[in-house]
Amino acid sequence: MLGTVPDRRAPAVPPRSRRLDHRRPGAAAVTPTSYWETIDPLLSQVRKPAQYVGGEHNQVASDWDAADTRWLLCYPDTYEVGQPNQGIQILYEILNERATALAERAYAPWVDMEALQREHGIPAFSLEHHRPLWAFDVFAVTLPHELGHTNLLNLLDLGSVPIRSAGRSVEDPIVLVGGHAAYNPEPLAPFIDAAVMGDGEEVTLEVDDAIRTWKRIHLGDGQSPGPDARGDLLKRLAAVEGVYVPAFYEPRYYDDGRLRQTVSVEPGVPSRVPKRTVQDLEQWAYPRKQIVPMTETVHERFSVEIFRGCTRGCRFCQAGMITRPVRERRPETIQKLVEDGVRDTGFNEVGLLSLSSADHSAIGSVARDLADTYEGTTTSLSLPSTRVDAFNVTLSNELARNGRRTGLTFAPEAGSERMRAVINKMVSEADLLRTAETSFSEGWRHIKLYFMVGLPTEQDEDVLAIADLGIKAYEIARKYGKANKVTLSVGGFVPKPHTPFQWVAQDPPEEIRRKLSLIRHAIKAHGGLKLRTNDPEEGVIEGLLARGDRRVAPAVERAWELGARFDGWHEMPTLETWMQALAETGVDLDWFSYRERDENEALPWDHLDSGLEKSWLWEDWQDSLTEKDLDDCRWSACYDCGVCPGLSIDHDTGYTGGFQLPVLPQGLGGGSEDLPTAPERYASGS
Amino acid sequence: MSQRYRIRWTKEGRTRYISARDLTSVWERALRRADLPIAYSEGFTPHAKVSFPDALPVSYGSTGEYAELTFAAPITPERDIARLSSSLPDGMDILTYLKVPDGAPKLARMLRATLWELIWPPVDATELTELLHRRSDELMASDAAEVIRHRPDGDRTIDVRPAMLAIAASTHPTAGGDARTVLRAVLRNDGPTVRPTDLHAALTRGDIAEPALNRRVAQGEHVPEGLREALSGTVDPLVLDVDAEAA
Repeated sequence: MLGTVPDRRAPAVPPRSRRLDHRRPGAAAVTPTSYWETIDPLLSQVRKPAQYVGGEHNQVASDWDAADTRWLLCYPDTYEVGQPNQGIQILYEILNERATALAERAYAPWVDMEALQREHGIPAFSLEHHRPLWAFDVFAVTLPHELGHTNLLNLLDLGSVPIRSAGRSVEDPIVLVGGHAAYNPEPLAPFIDAAVMGDGEEVTLEVDDAIRTWKRIHLGDGQSPGPDARGDLLKRLAAVEGVYVPAFYEPRYYDDGRLRQTVSVEPGVPSRVPKRTVQDLEQWAYPRKQIVPMTETVHERFSVEIFRGCTRGCRFCQAGMITRPVRERRPETIQKLVEDGVRDTGFNEVGLLSLSSADHSAIGSVARDLADTYEGTTTSLSLPSTRVDAFNVTLSNELARNGRRTGLTFAPEAGSERMRAVINKMVSEADLLRTAETSFSEGWRHIKLYFMVGLPTEQDEDVLAIADLGIKAYEIARKYGKANKVTLSVGGFVPKPHTPFQWVAQDPPEEIRRKLSLIRHAIKAHGGLKLRTNDPEEGVIEGLLARGDRRVAPAVERAWELGARFDGWHEMPTLETWMQALAETGVDLDWFSYRERDENEALPWDHLDSGLEKSWLWEDWQDSLTEKDLDDCRWSACYDCGVCPGLSIDHDTGYTGGFQLPVLPQGLGGGSEDLPTAPERYASGS
Repeated sequence: MSQRYRIRWTKEGRTRYISARDLTSVWERALRRADLPIAYSEGFTPHAKVSFPDALPVSYGSTGEYAELTFAAPITPERDIARLSSSLPDGMDILTYLKVPDGAPKLARMLRATLWELIWPPVDATELTELLHRRSDELMASDAAEVIRHRPDGDRTIDVRPAMLAIAASTHPTAGGDARTVLRAVLRNDGPTVRPTDLHAALTRGDIAEPALNRRVAQGEHVPEGLREALSGTVDPLVLDVDAEAA
C-alpha cells in the first residue's frame, strides 16, 4: 500500500547496562528520547486518548538536564481516577519548585493502550514529555488503597524496570510508595525499595536531598558507581525518618505460621519506623497550581484540604486512625487558597476536603465567607461531609446558595444503636430521623445513607435495622413530597491495619451477600427506597492485601503474571485470577482474612509506627465488644492513643482562640434548627 | 448589553485528542481564567454561552474550527480575545474574530464548505500523488461514489460524490529533505456529512494507506481557487504553492 509508514518503531530501550548516562545529575545527563512521536499515531485506536497526552494547564515541563534528581509521580490507576489526587499534586508542586528537582506524572494505561505499548515497544511513560519510566531516579507511587498493587507491578514491567527490588541496580529507579496502604507494605515488600510513612511534604524533600547527595558522590560526570552504590543509597534512604526499607527487615514466623516478629537485619536502622507528621499545615499551603484536566476525571474542582486528621474515633476507619492528630488550616488561608485557585484554574467548583469537613472548628464562617464571595456567580461549593446532624444540613443549605437542593449524604454506618456503639459512631436513631426531617422540610429532595455490613459482632437483627432505618427515613421523605428519595448505600466492611478492628475476622463474600439480601428483601415493599451495593467480592482482594504479610507477595506477582490489573474495576473481574494465584502460591485466604487474631499475635505492620499504641488499639477493640463509646478528644479528655507525645502540638484547631461556634447568617435556610453548641456538634448532635 | 463574537480557532498538537464532549469545559475554564464576562444560560446548571457549529473527530488537526461566544458585557476585543487565546491550552489558538452585527446570518450559513487536508507520511510521495491525482479525476468525473462507513452500530453506505466540490493532490518537501503527499479537498457542509475517512475510502482500492493526519484547514465558501474563509475573507488555495513552501 502506498503511503504506509515503514514500521514506526519506538526508540529502543537501552539495555540495563547502558542507562547510567541518562540518570547523571544536571547537565551531565543524556536526555532520554520522548516517545510522543510513537505514541501520537496510536492514540486514535484507544479509548479516551486525551488521558495520555498531558499538556494541561499548570503542568510543569522542565528540561531533563536542568535537574539533579528526577521523580516520576504515579497514581496506579487510570488518569480519570488518579489525576485529582491531592497527594500527587502536592508533591508535584513542591518538588518542581525546587531548582534541583524535576517531577513528572504517570498513570496506569488502560488495557487497550497497554496492549499497543507492548506491541510497539513503548515503555510506561510520563505525561509531560512522554519520557520512559526507567530513566527516572524515583518512581514514587501513592497507594490510597490496596487495589493498585497489580497495576504497580505492571507499570514497573511496562517501564522496563525489574519487578523485584533485589534485581535492581544503580541503572534503575528507586521504587518508593506512600499513602494509606503503605502503612502495611509487606505484600509489596519484595517489589518496592522503600515506603514512606505518613505526611509526604517534608519527608519527600528529605528523600530528594538524600538522593541528590548520593548522586553527586556516585554518579557525577563520567563516574562509574561501585558495586555497593545502590546499597549505599538504600541506607541513606533508611536514615531518613519515616522511610522504611523492607530489605533491611525480616519477618520471623512460628511453626504454626503465625508471625513472631519482624526484625531489623541492618545495623543502624530503627526497629520501628515512625510515621511523619507535618505539624503546621499553614507552612504547606499546597497544591496551589492545580492541574486542570482536558478530559473527564472523577473530581473536577479546585480542592482545598481544610484540615488533616480526624479524632472522631470510628473504629473501622483507617484514615481516621493513621492521620492523627487534627491539624486545621486557618480560615483566611482557606479563603485565599480558594480565591487564588479558582482564578488560576478556571474551575467552577470548589471542594473543601478533609475526613469530616463539617468538623473544622470555624466551618460556619469559612462556608459563609466563601458563599458570600461566590454568591450570584457560577462557582459552586461542595463539602464532603457525612455527619448526621442538623448542623450539616444548615451548612449544606449555605453552600447550596447558588444551586439546587438536590441530595445530601449521611453516614450512620450501622443500622442498630448497639452496632453503632461497637463501631463508635455515636449517632442515635432519633438524631438520624430528626436530620432526615430537617433535610426534607428544608427542601432537599434526596438523602443517601451510607452503611456497612460485616462489622464485628454483627447479628442479623443489626443488618435488618439498616432496612428499618431506611424505611423510617423514607416515610419522612414522602411526607414532604411524593418524588423524594432515600438511597441506602451498603458496602462490605474490610478490616484495616492500625485500627481497633485490625484483629477481627472479615466476613467472606457469601456472608456479605446473604446480609445484603436480607436488606433487599426487607425493603422490597417500599418502591422509592433504593438500595445500592458493591459487589461483595470486591472486598476479598482488598482485605487480603490490607492485612497480608510478605508471604502474600508471591501471590501478588503471580496474579499480575496471570493478567490481574485494575482490581477495583467492574470491567475487570480479576477475582478468579487471584484465586488461581493464591492456589498456586499456597496463600490461604481463610487464614489471612477470615480468622480472628489474638492479642499476642504479632502483626505484619507492628514494626511500622502509626503513632497509635498497640495496647490502646487493643483496649479500644475490647471496649467495642462491651459497646463502650469513646469521645472525640478534641473537646474531651485525652485517652492516650499515643499519637501526640513527641509532636509539638496536640490538636491544632480553633485558631481564633478556643473552640469557635459556627456563625451563620440569621434566617438561613428557612426554619433551620438552633445551632448546636460545639460539643453537641462534635458529638454528632446528641 | 450582550455582544456576540465569532471566532476561528485551531485544534492542533495534543489538543487534537480532546473530545467534543470535553471541549465545552475546556473553553469554559479558559474563559474564566481570562476573566471575560461570558454570558451563561439560565437554569439550574448554567452553561457558558459558547457554541460550536459542529464537532471535529478526535485526533484530527484543525486550523478551521469556529465558535460563537456571547458576552454579558462589552469586551475590548483586540485585548480580550488575545487574552482568551493565551488562556487556551497549547495547540488551541484564536486566529480571527468578528463581532456579530444584528441580523447577521447564522454562523452555520457562513460555513458552507470545508477545505480538508489529508497528509501522508513521507514515503512513496511521487507515486502516491500521481495515483491520487488519477483517482481524484475519476471521482470528479463520476456521478456517484458509494463507500461503506463502518460503525459499531452497523455499516452505512454513503455517497461521497455530491459533497465533493474540488480535489487536488500534490507533493511537498519535508523539513527532513523527504517529500510527502498532501491531498486537499473542498467538501460541502450541507447535506450528509462526508469526512476525510470517507474520501479516503472512495479513493483507495486497497492500495492507499490511511493518511497520517487529517486536518480541517478552514471553512467558508467554495471559490474557483479553493476556499474563501468565512471570517477573514482570505482565500485558501486548493493547490498549495509547493515552490513557495520549499523556499
